[in-house]
Amino acid sequence: GLLLVALLVSHMLLIKEGVTSMPICPNVSGNCQLPLEELFDRAVKLSRYIHFLASEMFNEFDERYAQGRGFIEKAVNSCHTASLATPEDKEQAQQIHHEDLLNLILGVLRSWNDPLIHLASEVQRIKEAPETILWKAVEIEEQNKRLLEGMEKIVGRVHSGEVDNDIYTPWDGLPSLQLADEDSRLFAFYNLLHCLRRDSHKIDNYLKVLKCRLIHDNNC
Amino acid sequence: DLLQWPQISKCRSPEMETFSCFWTAGNLYNLTVPRILQLLYKKSNEEDWKECPDYITSGQNSCYFNASYTSVWTPYCVQLASKTEVYDKKCFSVDEIVLPDPPVHLNWTLLNTSQTGIHGDIQVRWDPPPTADVRKGWITLEYELQYKEVNETKWKELKPRLSTMVPLYSLKTARDYEIRIRSRQRTSEKFGEFSEILYVSFSQIGIGCNHCTEEVEFPWFLVVVFGVCGLAVTVISIMLSKQPRLKMLIFPPVPVPKIKGIDPDLLKKGKLDEVNSILACHDSYKTQLYSDDLWVEFIELDIEDPDEKNRASDTDRLLSEDHLKSHNCLGAKDDDSGRASCCEPDIPETDFSASDTCDTTSDSDQLKKATEKEEDLLCLDRQDNDESLPRLASRDPQHQHRSTQSENSHLWAPSGDSAEPPLPSVHTRISNQNSLTNTDFYAQVSDITPAGRVVLSPGQKSKLGRAQHEGCTEQNFTMDNTYFCEADVKKCIAVISHEENEPHVQEQGYNEDGYFTTESLTTTVTNLGASTAAPPSSELPVADYTSIHIVQSPQGLVLNATALPVPDKEFNVSCGYVSTDQLNKILP
Repeated sequence: GLLLVALLVSHMLLIKEGVTSMPICPNVSGNCQLPLEELFDRAVKLSRYIHFLASEMFNEFDERYAQGRGFIEKAVNSCHTASLATPEDKEQAQQIHHEDLLNLILGVLRSWNDPLIHLASEVQRIKEAPETILWKAVEIEEQNKRLLEGMEKIVGRVHSGEVDNDIYTPWDGLPSLQLADEDSRLFAFYNLLHCLRRDSHKIDNYLKVLKCRLIHDNNC
Repeated sequence: DLLQWPQISKCRSPEMETFSCFWTAGNLYNLTVPRILQLLYKKSNEEDWKECPDYITSGQNSCYFNASYTSVWTPYCVQLASKTEVYDKKCFSVDEIVLPDPPVHLNWTLLNTSQTGIHGDIQVRWDPPPTADVRKGWITLEYELQYKEVNETKWKELKPRLSTMVPLYSLKTARDYEIRIRSRQRTSEKFGEFSEILYVSFSQIGIGCNHCTEEVEFPWFLVVVFGVCGLAVTVISIMLSKQPRLKMLIFPPVPVPKIKGIDPDLLKKGKLDEVNSILACHDSYKTQLYSDDLWVEFIELDIEDPDEKNRASDTDRLLSEDHLKSHNCLGAKDDDSGRASCCEPDIPETDFSASDTCDTTSDSDQLKKATEKEEDLLCLDRQDNDESLPRLASRDPQHQHRSTQSENSHLWAPSGDSAEPPLPSVHTRISNQNSLTNTDFYAQVSDITPAGRVVLSPGQKSKLGRAQHEGCTEQNFTMDNTYFCEADVKKCIAVISHEENEPHVQEQGYNEDGYFTTESLTTTVTNLGASTAAPPSSELPVADYTSIHIVQSPQGLVLNATALPVPDKEFNVSCGYVSTDQLNKILP
């Protein structure tokens, strides 16, 4: 009780002298918002982390389950996001409008929401799945959600018009992850992880391009 | 010469905008003629194989795909083939094969030097490879710097970093250094080629201190030598010192395997009293270890046997096999409050160790040996603690029962004596019933085989036969012994049962040859009818208990079967038990 009183008194004294804590948000206009640069920095960090996880997960899976099964030859690798018209080289990435690119990024992230949830749950059913793969699957799913939130914030800031929510590809690969035949099931996982690695690399690249274009004026 | 097929050695993209594939022609006939080997490629969404668009730009045996042919995240397959056959095939996507060019424009500047001028810090700077479009963020590069002194062989590495400048601290101004850098795409693992080597020479900018006195290097060798000597001297002095405490502190004595409280030498040639005291110590330990509650827990009823169900008495339960199993060998005694506790409290470990060793050998054997030894010893010599004896005795039928189960007639074989007739009957009776109710509680140990097995003689049977015909007139049991021998009790029981005429009321198990606790005696209505075995007709005056002649080893006792004449008249032998004093009178 005595301590509380002492704290209260000291607080009042301090306030009287005009000593207050600094506001967290740097924006003086009262709209407590992070600057766009900060948002992009965080988005790039997240996307890099997600790609790192996806890469490692694919490598581990490849090492553990895909050796000698000839998956890489079979892998035609049509990912479910192939229908989205994402830029395929630097030229296209430079020419596309940043709003469209942002929408595409959002579309890809949304399309991966569902598969990542199922990946996290189905990968546990793989026989003797290593712990590292398991936790990476869960982590990627979590981080993907966070990146999606961040991107929606960025889009809200950058977009002048309305946000296009239509860009999205549904995923119907769940049955293939649950096949009874182990070989086919592992091949489905291999494909999914390969697609995840590729798409996360795409997102990472697009975000860096956008960041350099919008924030640093093409002079990173 | 080994035959080498044409092979695609690698495919590489330096900046994620173009890529090239390289191959080796091998030494397969005359393939050096150009255009025999072709590189065909196919994107994943196409059907046909197309030929390489550019065989020249990347050099010989290469194929270059410029930006218009390159789609970054699309899977490609390339194929090395002649007109007739395919030699090699590779599938990949461009983002997986990115290996950047080396950085360019390496240079260094001096940051500062130490006061003595012997060491200096420099800052190394470079530019990213010109092909990689870092400015627009299309590719992000990481750099790894390596440096070494000119005359060294091993390169020192710094951690990969994103920035294009790095300080190097504490370089020796008197020496020259070499620096090289390589780069990789940030999200991949493989590095590109090394850059050209940058030479760092302090003397060139005039601050080299060639004639500076070199710092004396720390004399590691001397330190180690002196340290070892000092340690050795300390150790020797401690070992030789007379101070036991110091010695104990630094060199604690290693415990030699032994059983605490038991001196093996003593067992070999000790006197009976001492041996008993030792074993009693174990007993008293057991009292600490097992409380009554635990005791009861170990008791299990054998429900499958209907007879035994009826005889769910304490005695029966005590006699059950589980009870015995729950004890280890030497500690196969009940808790016995009567024994003097003379042991240190740290006997537990020895008991457990004893049990461990016992468990490894045949359980039944060990148990038999142990229980027999102990109960014989104790019955003979410690009749002061009579409370224990009933329970000890209870183990006998258990033991004998087990012996019959496992060893069949072996243990029952008398040592050449007669008394054969009762054997089969006993045997069959035992085999009929699971319970131990019809086995001898006490039997004389006639001999111990070299293997350690104890040979018993069924002396009690003859006694029983005699006893049954007597009436239970004698109420004055010898009160020094708080347990009663079967003969006496049977007299009483026989009387009681005849009076009450109840064949099978079993509150506590009455065994034909059983013995009774004091309690059981007062409450039991026993069934004498069950004991209608053919009483042995022979009346051999077999001594039930003999003295221990020699204790030969911890596992053997040689009993002197005939050493003890039993003068009936000298002391009250309603039982076959002999008290210590009585025994002492007898012994020479």
